[in-house]
Amino acid sequence: MDQEAQSSQSSEAAAKAVLLEECEEQFGLLQKLQNEIILTDTEANDDQSNEAVNRLIAVTSELEQWQEMEPKLLTTSPEVLLAVGKEELQRLNNQLKMVLSCSQAKLDAQKKILKREQTWQAEKKEALNAVCEKITRLQLENEKSEHSVLQDMKRKINNLKDYHSSLMEMLSDMLAEHFPLPDPQGNGTKKKRAAAYDAEMNLISLSEIIERLTNKTLETPHDPYVITDDTFWPPYTEMLLRNGIATRHPEDCNKIRLENFFGI
Amino acid sequence: MALLTPFSKVPELNTATVLLVENEEELQSKLANALVQYKKDFNVNVRLARKLPLPVENKETRPRIDLIVFVVNLLSERSLQSVESSLAHLHSDCFLGKVCFLVTDARCGSHTQERLVSVRKLAASHQSPVLCAEHRTVDGVNAAAVRLLNILKVSAGMSPIATTALYLSSLTRCSVTSDLEED
Repeated sequence: MDQEAQSSQSSEAAAKAVLLEECEEQFGLLQKLQNEIILTDTEANDDQSNEAVNRLIAVTSELEQWQEMEPKLLTTSPEVLLAVGKEELQRLNNQLKMVLSCSQAKLDAQKKILKREQTWQAEKKEALNAVCEKITRLQLENEKSEHSVLQDMKRKINNLKDYHSSLMEMLSDMLAEHFPLPDPQGNGTKKKRAAAYDAEMNLISLSEIIERLTNKTLETPHDPYVITDDTFWPPYTEMLLRNGIATRHPEDCNKIRLENFFGI
Repeated sequence: MALLTPFSKVPELNTATVLLVENEEELQSKLANALVQYKKDFNVNVRLARKLPLPVENKETRPRIDLIVFVVNLLSERSLQSVESSLAHLHSDCFLGKVCFLVTDARCGSHTQERLVSVRKLAASHQSPVLCAEHRTVDGVNAAAVRLLNILKVSAGMSPIATTALYLSSLTRCSVTSDLEED
C-alpha cells in the first residue's frame, strides 16, 4: 500500500515536471513571437487602411495557419491526458445537458403555441362557416323574393279555400242534422193531407235556402232579394227572419234577403 | 498619437484583462465587481476608463489588454459621441476580435431605438458584436458579466484551439439588415 502510494506520488511528480517543462518551452516560443511582433509594429506605420482589407488579410492568414497545422497531443504523459480528458468530458457533458434542457423547453413552448393556434384556427373556421351559411341564406332570400311572395299568396289562398270548404262542410252537416226537411210522416190525423201537401211541393232544405240567399246577394248585390215561393218551408223562413239572418223586403212581403252582417 | 495596440505586450499567465470604457461611469463599477466575483478558473483584471486615449503615465505598468468593452448608455446622446471619438484612438488591429459594444437601456423609448440603430451600424462597420444589458438589477449585471466573460475568454486565447478571437468576432458581429437601413 505504501509502495503504491509512493509510486503514484512519484509518477504525479514526474508528470508535473514534464508539464512544467513543456510550459517553459511554450513560453519561450511566445516571447520570441512577441519580440518579432513588436519589431514589425515599430517598423510599420499604422496607416488607417481599410478595416475590411485588414480583416481579410487576417482571416486568410489564419486559414493558412489552420491548414498547415497538424493536430498533436498536448503531452505524452498519460496521467495528464487522463485528467485533462476527464475534465473536458465532464464540461462537455454539462454543456450538452444544458443544451438538451434548453431545446426541450423550446419544444414545449412551441407545442403550446401550436395548440393555441390550432384552437384559434378552429374557432375562426366555425365563425367562417356560420357567416358563409348566413350569406347563402340571405342570397337565396334576395333571389326568390318575387317568387316567394307569389308562393306565399298561393299558399294563403289555398289555406283559405280549405278553411272555407271545411266551414261549408260543417255548416251543411249541422244543417242536415238539426234542421232536416220535415219528414213526410207527420201526424197521424193529418196524414193524408200532409202527404198530399208534401208530395205536391218539393221542399228545399234549409241549406238550399241559405245557399240561394247568399248566391243572390253575392251575384247581384243591387238586388239581393229572393222570392219566397212554396218550395220554402214556412217555419224555416220564419226562423231565419226571427233570428235576424234574413229580412223582408220593406214593400213586398214575399221577398227576403240576407242580412248585412258582413259590413265593412 | 498613441494608439492602443493589441499585441504590444506579453500576456500574463492565466490572466485576462478587460478594459471597460464608459462615459457616465454608471455601469462600470458594478460590472467590474460582478466580473471579478464570478466563479471562474482564470484571473480577471478589470481596468476602467472614461474614454480613450488612456493616460500616458500608466503605459508601462499596464498589462496587455485582451478585450475592450465600450459601454453606451442609450438614454444620453453624449455617450455615443464619446465612444465614437474614442474609437479613433484604437489601432485598427484591435477590431479583429478585441472590441465589443455593450448598450444599456435599449427598451426605454423612441430615442433609444434610433441610437440603438446607429450603435448597431457602428458595430457592423467594425465587425464587432453588440450586447444588450440591463444595468438596474443585480441579475442583469450578473448576466452581462457572464456574457462578457465568455467573450473575454476567447479573446484572451483561453478557449480550445479552434476558437480564436477573430473567429468569434466573425460569428458574433453585429449585422445590420436592410430593413434597419431603410428606416
